[in-house]
Amino acid sequence: MTGDPSSSERAPTAGALIRPFLSAGATDLGADTAGVEASTGLRPFLLTAGRVAADVSIAIETQVISTELGRASIPSLAFERRDIVAICDGPLALAEIAAQLGLHLGVIRVLVGDLSAEGHIAVYLPNTDVSQDVDTLLRVIRGLRAIS
Amino acid sequence: MAFELSPDRGADTGATRAAPARRPPPLPVKIVIAGGFGVGKTTSVGSISEIVPLTTEAEMTSFGAEVDDASHVPDKRTTTVAMDFGCITIDESLKLYLFGTPGQDRFGFMWDDLAHGALGALVIVDCRRMDDCYPAVDYFERLRLPFVVAVNRFDGVVPLDLDTIRWALAIEESTPVLTFDARDKLSVRDALLVVLDRALERARSSMQAKVPS
Repeated sequence: MTGDPSSSERAPTAGALIRPFLSAGATDLGADTAGVEASTGLRPFLLTAGRVAADVSIAIETQVISTELGRASIPSLAFERRDIVAICDGPLALAEIAAQLGLHLGVIRVLVGDLSAEGHIAVYLPNTDVSQDVDTLLRVIRGLRAIS
Repeated sequence: MAFELSPDRGADTGATRAAPARRPPPLPVKIVIAGGFGVGKTTSVGSISEIVPLTTEAEMTSFGAEVDDASHVPDKRTTTVAMDFGCITIDESLKLYLFGTPGQDRFGFMWDDLAHGALGALVIVDCRRMDDCYPAVDYFERLRLPFVVAVNRFDGVVPLDLDTIRWALAIEESTPVLTFDARDKLSVRDALLVVLDRALERARSSMQAKVPS
């Protein structure tokens, strides 16, 4: 979750341009709101209380679904947290939540991690590497062939 | 735009289903759709996805215009600034997601997120701008992710033959190179099936490697 993955050596300034809230040191984030360039809307780190680290095991396709507790708690949850629990009534992938709420994927990942720890939502992490599973691949192939 | 949340969205979706028997969510699998700017990634996803591709695509701004060379694609007005994706329900317990990589190199940091755990990748090539796909080819080769090079038949014409393209890309003999039409659902499906064949090959060979013990 730093702005510097091994794959982006060709874009040295990417972090600075795109994810100021992630590439800046986490320690700056809480207090330093005055010195930052004006931006439209709330900056993402405000939604996560300044945190930028998240459970990276939650992949973009990871399925998220609200729990009984979560649905019962909707009235007491606020803002983005409430929206996440509400739209995850049926299972949604992390990326779908981000797209539907119009929020940055990194923000959703942090909030989903929190909500999961609190028991408001359940996060389904596959316990095997499905990309190497022959049976799963054969099912996908059969399913695709059925498309016409 | 990002933070105008409809206040009744929660009520909408939250109240409609009282307490249905809850099935576990489907197992998600994904294929990455990569390639240069304006090469047809979003079109490919949209052709076959059962949902309208969800996207954080935004109007290309003047900020992007300096970087994105759209002169070869004059009708291209927007570009994907984050990623776009669609999905195909294989059955009730298996769902295939198609993730388009961000169109610009400067979003490369998201690729790890996209590629981790992927079954394979489809690298889309526009013959007029071959070099746009080099980063994707490099990336997947390094990652050892099964991938297929798919040349998008813009206007039905592929100006170069596939051998020339293979030579230009200097990819392994085992990596398939094919042509397809990003606008045609079945064409996209067939291209994805080639990706899955490669993935299956890899899975079988790694399984055999484990079996002898």
